[in-house]
Amino acid sequence: MSEKETKLQKLKTGIIGLDNITGGGLPSGQVTLLLGQAAAGKTVLSLQILARAIERGEGGVFVTFEESPAQVKRDAASFSWGVHLQESDRWQLIDARPRFNTEAAGEFDIEGLLSIVAATIAKTRATWVVFDGIDQLLQYQPDPRVAIDQVRLINEYCENNGWTLLLSGKAIGDSMAPAHLEGIEYLLSATLVLSARLVNQQLNRSLRISKFRGSGHLADELPMIIDDEGIQLPYHEHLPVDEVIASNERLSTGIKRLDKLLDGGIYRGSSLLISGRPGTAKSTLAGSFAQTAALRGERTLYVSFDEMEAPYVRNLASVGIKLRAHIEAGLIRFEDLSAYSLRVTEHFLILRRLLDSFDPHCLVIDPVSALYKASGTEGASMATEHLIDLVRRRGITTVLTSLSGIDDPEGESTLGQVSTLADSWIVLDYNVRGGERNRSLSIVKSRGSAHSNQERELLLSGDGIYLADVYEHGSEVLMGTARATREREEATAERRRQLKRKQRLLDIERRMELVERERQTLAAELELEKEESAETDRLERIQRQQIKQRRDPEKNNPPLHPASDEGGLS
Amino acid sequence: MSIIKQSGESRLPVLMLFVTGTAPRSQRARTNIAKMLEQLNCTDIQPYEIDLLEQPEQGIKHSVFATPSLLKVSPTGGVSVLYGDLSEEDRLRRFLSDLDPDQ
Repeated sequence: MSEKETKLQKLKTGIIGLDNITGGGLPSGQVTLLLGQAAAGKTVLSLQILARAIERGEGGVFVTFEESPAQVKRDAASFSWGVHLQESDRWQLIDARPRFNTEAAGEFDIEGLLSIVAATIAKTRATWVVFDGIDQLLQYQPDPRVAIDQVRLINEYCENNGWTLLLSGKAIGDSMAPAHLEGIEYLLSATLVLSARLVNQQLNRSLRISKFRGSGHLADELPMIIDDEGIQLPYHEHLPVDEVIASNERLSTGIKRLDKLLDGGIYRGSSLLISGRPGTAKSTLAGSFAQTAALRGERTLYVSFDEMEAPYVRNLASVGIKLRAHIEAGLIRFEDLSAYSLRVTEHFLILRRLLDSFDPHCLVIDPVSALYKASGTEGASMATEHLIDLVRRRGITTVLTSLSGIDDPEGESTLGQVSTLADSWIVLDYNVRGGERNRSLSIVKSRGSAHSNQERELLLSGDGIYLADVYEHGSEVLMGTARATREREEATAERRRQLKRKQRLLDIERRMELVERERQTLAAELELEKEESAETDRLERIQRQQIKQRRDPEKNNPPLHPASDEGGLS
Repeated sequence: MSIIKQSGESRLPVLMLFVTGTAPRSQRARTNIAKMLEQLNCTDIQPYEIDLLEQPEQGIKHSVFATPSLLKVSPTGGVSVLYGDLSEEDRLRRFLSDLDPDQ
């Protein structure tokens, strides 16, 4: 007993989000006050907790002071877990509505009620007891203080008998207590406040733990949704996930040159943000990624906001991205959603359920910025932040596109969070020059990768996407016709340069030839000269000999040549 | 059903007093109803007493969850309930007005 008193025991509600934010459930063996205006979801919450308990094989007692038992059963039947309440005899529904013509003539006790409930609990082995709308009974109490005392009595009864009880009551305005019961919030150890407010013509539900004695809890007002699955706190339903593994595997974007710029593609399990103004080919890039994933045999959940599947797929086909076959093969699940139609939190919930049911390897949301058009007090940032967190935990590789404003091509003012959270960020834009628009692509960030910071030109054609080198001209980047012109000019100049060089070489060769010919001529001349001077020498020698003979014939001066014709000369 | 039969002949309403043991308010209600019946010269009518601590299922059967409560089944089958210890005489008198032989 003393151990029970010192340590707060909690009982699971079976509502994952609620169990998460309370750290395990509501105080066991005590009363939790469930406050809210009409239609805030008090009855649904109670029924859902009972249904989950019954599903686990436990039991429950539901005492209704306001709605008819038939109405309560109809309430339950409209939810997926309603079957647990329809078929089971482990719960009892007690109709404790005061009769129509009821009056009071003095104070009364509620021990009779507790006795009735105790008898029912004994039959059903109930773990949970719900008093739904007890203010309908206690309002007959002439003195409100007596009513409050009776709530205290209920609380003591619960502690002594180990009942875990949900006591719901209608809140009026901002009051923290049900009508007629002001002050009971101080008596009870836990209080949940449900609210439903209209914001931009849409109903925004929330849940808040305004009090939880002896336990840590999240005190914020948390976005809540009621749909077929009942009450949910979409942002707080993360099941514990094994440690996220950082993969080194690179996934192709389907564009060779882009992969190269990204150092091989984007990491598996990472997120890529593609932002840009309208018409900058964001969808084309996203589609290329999905197509490539499908060709690898991987599943992609493809979410399109505000554009319908048929035109979307057709438009991509015109640039050679063929999703139709993959959709039919079940590798791509295409979901077109309307951003306006639902609240941000509902979109988040839908996406999470799609992720649960389809279990994709990759996710494309085109554009995620559409969420900013959906209404909701909680804002789109929260939804996108949770979404990125969710896919990261599950190791899903994600491509998000974001539409940026005309004046704000990088969209930083509207997408601060997403661009911070995303692992890689590609900005698409167009440059207007010389009467044309040319698409450009630049990588703003890519975590964990060396990547090119150079802007490229993005070319779309009937058979795919290409990246072209852009032409740097001084500090400018040239694209389109300007790039082509520039390229042509450059090529011509280059050709000219080469021709010139060749010409110069030829010139030199020709000059060398000329010189060679000259040398040969000179060599010939030299030979001739040599021959002539030798002849001259010989003739001179002969002449000198003849002169000597003529001057002194006695002397035997034999002729140089025994030629008789020499004598003939003399 | 059996209760209505009991008094079916008398053409008089049947009274049932729901109590919880000897709780002070239950005790007061016993005294107050007895006093009023005496005032109304209806001493032949005895409220049929149900103790919810002993017979909780009777509470569910008759849709009475507050004690003490006085339940009246008129000969035509109409049921009305008066919560509380019946200390407010005027209300009790009005509640029992169809018992008054003078009316």
